[in-house]
Amino acid sequence: MSTNDRVENIQEQIVALLPRLRRFARNLVRNPHDADDVVQIAVERALQRLDQWRSDARLDSWLFKILRNAWIDEVRARARRAKILLPEEAGEQIGEASMEREMERWSAEAAFARLPEDQRLAVSLVLVEGLSYKDAAEVLDVPIGTLTSRLARGREALQEMLRLPEGDVS
Amino acid sequence: MTMSEETLMAYADGELDAATRASVEAAMQDDPEIRQRVARHRALRESLRGAFSAVLDEPVPDRLIQAARGPAGAAKSTVVALSRAREAREPGNPAAPRRWQPAAMAASLLLGLGLGFLAWHGSGGAMIQPDAGGGLIAGAALAEALSTQLSDDRSAARVAVTGLSFRDKAGDYCRTFSLSGSDASAGLACREGADWRIKALAQSPRAAADAGNFRTAGSEDSAAIRAAVEGSIDGEPLDHAGEIAARAAAWASARKR
Repeated sequence: MSTNDRVENIQEQIVALLPRLRRFARNLVRNPHDADDVVQIAVERALQRLDQWRSDARLDSWLFKILRNAWIDEVRARARRAKILLPEEAGEQIGEASMEREMERWSAEAAFARLPEDQRLAVSLVLVEGLSYKDAAEVLDVPIGTLTSRLARGREALQEMLRLPEGDVS
Repeated sequence: MTMSEETLMAYADGELDAATRASVEAAMQDDPEIRQRVARHRALRESLRGAFSAVLDEPVPDRLIQAARGPAGAAKSTVVALSRAREAREPGNPAAPRRWQPAAMAASLLLGLGLGFLAWHGSGGAMIQPDAGGGLIAGAALAEALSTQLSDDRSAARVAVTGLSFRDKAGDYCRTFSLSGSDASAGLACREGADWRIKALAQSPRAAADAGNFRTAGSEDSAAIRAAVEGSIDGEPLDHAGEIAARAAAWASARKR
């Protein structure tokens, strides 16, 4: 396979992963429009760094990691801009978000949104995206023990908020 | 026997080694409380996946698809990925006419939708699954329906509605199908060897409203699928007897190989 074909092949694999990248981004970033922006930034970065992807690694984990780092950069940039320009806008956003939470208080989505970010990401990668503990720890750049303890705390908090029924135990 | 929450969690996530897994399963046998704790972990996973799955069925914005295809991607983005994958598999035949061009022109949104299904069913693959060449083929359940079900079958057990059956210009048998429920979509699959290769896939505009209500596919489900059929059909669709004969012959291609 020529280099060109290889690149096209990876590009198509990335296209195929876009729905999951959007889902992960929405778990990371609450505003869906922002979420798509982060997906776009992540995909563009990924294409610039295709040579860094080892083909024995999972493409989805690699992209999740780029996406998460892109969002961290974006949050930092916004914090800088907010300090300089619009100190009140941040306050408004928090207000809107809490209203939304109030309205959807009982849904799994809302419970999930209330988790601290580190737990939210662990839960998202393992329970929603189906990554192994090892791959999820790799995406988040933490040891596996840290990942599992975040996952356990996130789960416990969700079960508390949702008071899930016992389920079918037969 | 006591079991830590982390162990039960790892069990529910499929992360335990065989020995620990066996000991959890033994404990589950003996202790209803442990069974319940495991069931709770599983229920949480299901409930979260349910809560966040809607985005997978949304069309992916064009700008993201173009971003993924890189700077050169914009010009190519109206071509459905399935036909590109097909060309990639047939390198010896670069001048082959693009039989699926009408489908491609009809709907670049097919792509996002189709690939959404791919991702969603990536683990189960009962309906649609990727093949080694980067294309899509029918998964076990859909392939079974395409191979055995006649278009006028109205039995309740069917998993997919088969619509129109015909031979395409290459001599392969093709069939339209529609899926209901969360998979709601219409598509066209053609028999290639032992597989039903997905040639076009689109979400019906009315799929959501009709989710519980099977209809005959092929004529009205999707303009894109109709265009794909019109672009590839050779002659007339099969009638009932023609379908029975084709099924008896295992949908074998008339293609000269």
